[in-house]
Amino acid sequence: MFNFLINPNQFNKFVDIIFKPLVIIALITLSAGLMLVYLSPLDYQQGLTVKIMYIHVPSAWLALITYAIMTIYSIVGLAFKISFSFIINKAIAPIGAVFTILCLLSGSMWGKPMWGTWWVWDARLTSVAILLIIYLLIIFLNQTFENREVREKTIAIFILIGSVNLPIIKFSVDWWNTLHQPASVSKLSSPSIDISMLQPLLTMTLAFSMIGLIIAILRIKAEILLRKKYL
Amino acid sequence: MFLIKKIFLFFKRELNLFYNNIADLFSNILFFFLSIFIFVFALGAEEQLLRSIGLGIIWSLLLLSSTLSLRKFYEDDFNNGVIKIIHMSGISYELFVFLKILSHFFFVQIPFLISIPIACIFFNLPINEVYNLMITFIIGSLILSCLGSISASMNLLNKTNFSIGSIIVLLFSIPVIIFSVGINNSEDSFRSLINLLIGITLIFLGVSPWSSAAFIKLALRNK
Repeated sequence: MFNFLINPNQFNKFVDIIFKPLVIIALITLSAGLMLVYLSPLDYQQGLTVKIMYIHVPSAWLALITYAIMTIYSIVGLAFKISFSFIINKAIAPIGAVFTILCLLSGSMWGKPMWGTWWVWDARLTSVAILLIIYLLIIFLNQTFENREVREKTIAIFILIGSVNLPIIKFSVDWWNTLHQPASVSKLSSPSIDISMLQPLLTMTLAFSMIGLIIAILRIKAEILLRKKYL
Repeated sequence: MFLIKKIFLFFKRELNLFYNNIADLFSNILFFFLSIFIFVFALGAEEQLLRSIGLGIIWSLLLLSSTLSLRKFYEDDFNNGVIKIIHMSGISYELFVFLKILSHFFFVQIPFLISIPIACIFFNLPINEVYNLMITFIIGSLILSCLGSISASMNLLNKTNFSIGSIIVLLFSIPVIIFSVGINNSEDSFRSLINLLIGITLIFLGVSPWSSAAFIKLALRNK
């Protein structure tokens, strides 16, 4: 049933079915999310700038999720010798990089009015900047080696080593005393964010992940076509 | 018994190579001192300023100068086939990598240890900071050798992008820098930070033979 996740032909078949509905859902969720963001209440301290959160938080989540997907696919690809996972690693690395850049840019735009500075050497901010460097290194490594097998496996092992950074990003606000606020949505007991702000946030997250998924599908299909021509 | 003899012969060979390439090591140390001078020229020779930032500068320059000769870590052995011969003599790739890390630690990083007190004179560092720097460098340089092994074995077949190996070493040495420079800022947490550094060293000593051996096998298969 989940064969399309590891088999390129099944993936192409499955994607041809779901692509058009996915685009429609993405358009609907994006417009609904933007509408909800427009209607959402202003913060009593931060005023209008709180609406940066609806870009900042989803892109940060998706940057982490993209890296986690790459880590899982690296383990699968190295352990079971499935070459489709290396296609995915190559295809979705730039998407994660773009989400990380979005997160850093919107964060520093939010930090200027709130903290009074574009950048502080805070644990959360620094670890996300390191995540961006790791993404860029993965993109550069993709264009480095001549031999394809060496390139793919090198990148997979590099992704595995770099995944040490993921728990550091997640728990940096708990381990160190930082300027960045601790997590307020992913608490298991009850989120410390109001429902009127949680609704647009989750909708925007859904819209962002749909857009990322669409770009990922297009890139993966292009990569499969590129490899079939050479095989 | 045979294994010990083989390991002994391995280190004997490394010692010979060390004597033949000793000029390379001295130019590395020269690079280290020259970059210290350049830092002092760029910052101005205020004694108070240099004393407050000296430790961080020495650590980061040690790091940068130890990445200079990283390409030689495996490349000669790989190109003239010594890795295969050692493997045929019964030493696994993982043990070979481990021995190579140890020899790099003894023959490249330890000579830097002698040059550290001289460098500390230039910055007028207090004597307890010099002791801390020596202790953290003994532990931290082992981590740097492990990282160098990983990045050098990763770039065995890389013929276009030479700087990426150094970038990878710099990227993963960030925790080493944080903990080893942080020792001086808080006096009472000395033991805990030393323990953290030793923990990171043990993690890398466990991880790097495995990953370097995987890279070497991959490179040998596609040579």
